[in-house]
Amino acid sequence: MNTSINKNIGEWESLLRDAASVFSKGLIERIKSEGLAMLEKGGHGSVLVDSTGKEYIDCFTSAGSFNLGRGRADLLRVLRESARQTDQGNFIAISEEKAMLAQRLASFMPPALECALFTVVRGEAMDAACKLARGFTGRSEIITVDGGWYGHTGFSLGMSDCCERDLFGQGIPKITAVPFGDVDAARRALTKNTAAFVLETVQAENGCRYAEEEYYASLRRLCDEAGAILIVDESQTGFGRTGYRFSFDCFKFIPDIAVLGEAITGGMFPMTAIAFTGRLKSFFDEHPLIHLCTFGGHDVGCRVAVSAIDLYVAERPWENARRMGGLLFERLDGISTRYPGMVCGIEGKGLLFSITMKDEVNARRFCVEAGGSGFVCARGRVNGSSVVLRPVLTISEDDVRMIAEAVENTLKTMNKG
Amino acid sequence: MKKKISAGILRLNKQVFKLFGKHISKNQIRFLAAGHLDILESERSGIGFEDRTSGRQFIDAFSSAGCFNVGRMNGEVIKALDDPDISDMGNYMVLSRNKIEFAKKLAAVSPGDLNRVVLTGSGADSIECALKLALGATGRKSIVSMVNAYHGHSGFSLSAGGKDYYKQLFLPLKPGFIYVPFGDLDAMRKAVSRDTAAIILEPVQGEGGIHVGSDDYLRGLRSLCDELGIMLIFDEIQTGFGRTGRLFYSEYSGVVPDIMTLAKSISGGVYPNGAVVYRDIDILNGFVDAHPGFHDSFGGGSEIGCIVSSKVIDYLVDNVVWENAGRMGDKFRKGLDRLMEKNPKIIREIRGKGLMLGVEYLHEFMGVLMADNLAKEGVFAAYSGNAPQVMRFMIPITAVERDIDSILLKIEHAVKGMRFYLALMLPLARVMIFRNILNNVNVLIAVNNFLRKLHLA
Repeated sequence: MNTSINKNIGEWESLLRDAASVFSKGLIERIKSEGLAMLEKGGHGSVLVDSTGKEYIDCFTSAGSFNLGRGRADLLRVLRESARQTDQGNFIAISEEKAMLAQRLASFMPPALECALFTVVRGEAMDAACKLARGFTGRSEIITVDGGWYGHTGFSLGMSDCCERDLFGQGIPKITAVPFGDVDAARRALTKNTAAFVLETVQAENGCRYAEEEYYASLRRLCDEAGAILIVDESQTGFGRTGYRFSFDCFKFIPDIAVLGEAITGGMFPMTAIAFTGRLKSFFDEHPLIHLCTFGGHDVGCRVAVSAIDLYVAERPWENARRMGGLLFERLDGISTRYPGMVCGIEGKGLLFSITMKDEVNARRFCVEAGGSGFVCARGRVNGSSVVLRPVLTISEDDVRMIAEAVENTLKTMNKG
Repeated sequence: MKKKISAGILRLNKQVFKLFGKHISKNQIRFLAAGHLDILESERSGIGFEDRTSGRQFIDAFSSAGCFNVGRMNGEVIKALDDPDISDMGNYMVLSRNKIEFAKKLAAVSPGDLNRVVLTGSGADSIECALKLALGATGRKSIVSMVNAYHGHSGFSLSAGGKDYYKQLFLPLKPGFIYVPFGDLDAMRKAVSRDTAAIILEPVQGEGGIHVGSDDYLRGLRSLCDELGIMLIFDEIQTGFGRTGRLFYSEYSGVVPDIMTLAKSISGGVYPNGAVVYRDIDILNGFVDAHPGFHDSFGGGSEIGCIVSSKVIDYLVDNVVWENAGRMGDKFRKGLDRLMEKNPKIIREIRGKGLMLGVEYLHEFMGVLMADNLAKEGVFAAYSGNAPQVMRFMIPITAVERDIDSILLKIEHAVKGMRFYLALMLPLARVMIFRNILNNVNVLIAVNNFLRKLHLA
């Protein structure tokens, strides 16, 4: 037994040294300090399995990618079969896979969002959305809100409320942020020069802050009046996460462009997308191939995404997310009141939660101690005092109980320390 | 060689075009149709595919801009997906054996002390990462790129692009970029200063029209960068992994860039992936150690991507595929040179290295016409977006001698087929006003679509 443990520790240390030599020492320090010091072997259902076989409830889910559950055998089968029948294809070419996914996605989205462009990483999808807005309107100004997080590429980074943004000199110009939830500020900012207003409805990386329904309705109206494009980032909130197909369903409005994350393939394939109106598509008709993405409409990925959407329709995981989210919120809320010195509050929608700790040190410690309690999670990128919980949407009541107990155990351990 | 297409498939094809037009872009179909590129790829394997609209067998001379270095649907690479441990993409911030193994393998085959890796999801993602690394590490504000350069379409990668066409509708982009002519060391000397964070270039310009960076030019850039503390970034997204006859193009000159961007062929055409490899030097290590989250890629460096990319590297190394690219490239090049000698009124120049070859025609309008004629012969070849008079030939680098003989014959026939059109167009092209009309892409699309309809009728 002891020999086996020593062997595992020795192997782990050796792999960490390898990782430090090929990635960076800073990365190793980061995963250790953020409670992610493990080697992931894979996942199934609601759990992540590490290289020693230990299971953790996955409350990170690669920032909300595995909405249909970890390691879906049905999607993996589609991936393997598709790769034996087709490949990426030439990116400039028309393909059955691209056309079929575009149609399938259109049938899944609200009727107004019937057109699509496929991309790879989330940042690229958001950048494409901003470019479409600028190109279509012929305007340059982009308005966003404070507290948002959209990704690491040019436009996305420029709109994200994070310290990394300032490391690279001046970013994309003509991007300004107004206070989230402030209709008057939005009204003042939106002018005839505004190409787009960009936001997440629930700011996952910022304490899961969201506004009242009226705010989003007002933004919709103000954008229409100003002739600006309303862009909603659904990369974390989409495909059922908030208890609805999309968070804009929850808040009862329809954007002009929705940015979709890897949940479009159930986390089986690196694909993201933007879904947009037929009116906006006229820009891509007028300027075909103006925005290219080599892996964007990958034919294998398109097949996986079609199957994932079929699963979303069949399983309606948003319904479970709403129900389990309600149960989990109740339990977490109860727990938080027992640790007033450490927990400042719980916020969230569906199965997207944030526990706001009293400071960043405690949030970091929470993530480290979480492993010992049997779950993994990550801090918010905007609000470093927040810890985001975003389990798979297929969790059961037992999972809810286990997550709540694990959270409480973590807080207990911290309290003792 | 054409296969008869069944009525059922024809109906399905019609439906595909209709849906594509409705949900993605109607005019993209028209644009592609002008160059006879409106094919539907099926039965993909080796160096080509079957077009489901015509039943014709095609040689893939575009390879999705150089993605299929292991050939189309390489069985050994696909087999990597059978790994019983695969469950899904994995969590992006969490390490795994496969991620570490892939990064080690990549560092081992990368030139010089390019030993450090950042995992990314795509070419544009790699470029974003590389630019940020250089800007962040040096604390400087300016970046020098090349006229006609192509680096991608995301915010910063587009800013680095050297073709206004792709940028003008989306301005303003990131400030601080300066563009100099490719290959001009004097112009570069004038453009750089101690405020320059990086020089970024494709060592062989792809989309810009296949311009090959000479050894002297690349060495000159290296010296300039060393002198002024500038980061040298080689975008090897198209040239990397054997395409030019070496595993990386930089090996010809012996120049080790500070940062190298990779994507496309690292995926084996099976599963997207990308990477940035950077030198093991204090300035870069210091920045990444201080800011390890400076570029997290959610879909990049996924568990499955790393398994597939490791297999791609194994395949390329085990089969020394770049040597084949060099040999086949020489043979292809010689054949194209002979063709140019026979057709001086059509072909101006042949350029390239290994199996990254470009044919420059005398006029811009010839690119579209040749694409059309090549398609009729069963060659899928795209003209360069940044230089439509240049056609790229980037066949899968697993091609063998008979493939080269076959494509050369097809190109020869296509050139012969051009003569009919050119008998009419070349006299017109001597007059500037007509030449401008002929070179106008919208005119070409309209005319070619009309001609294709006549042909189909």
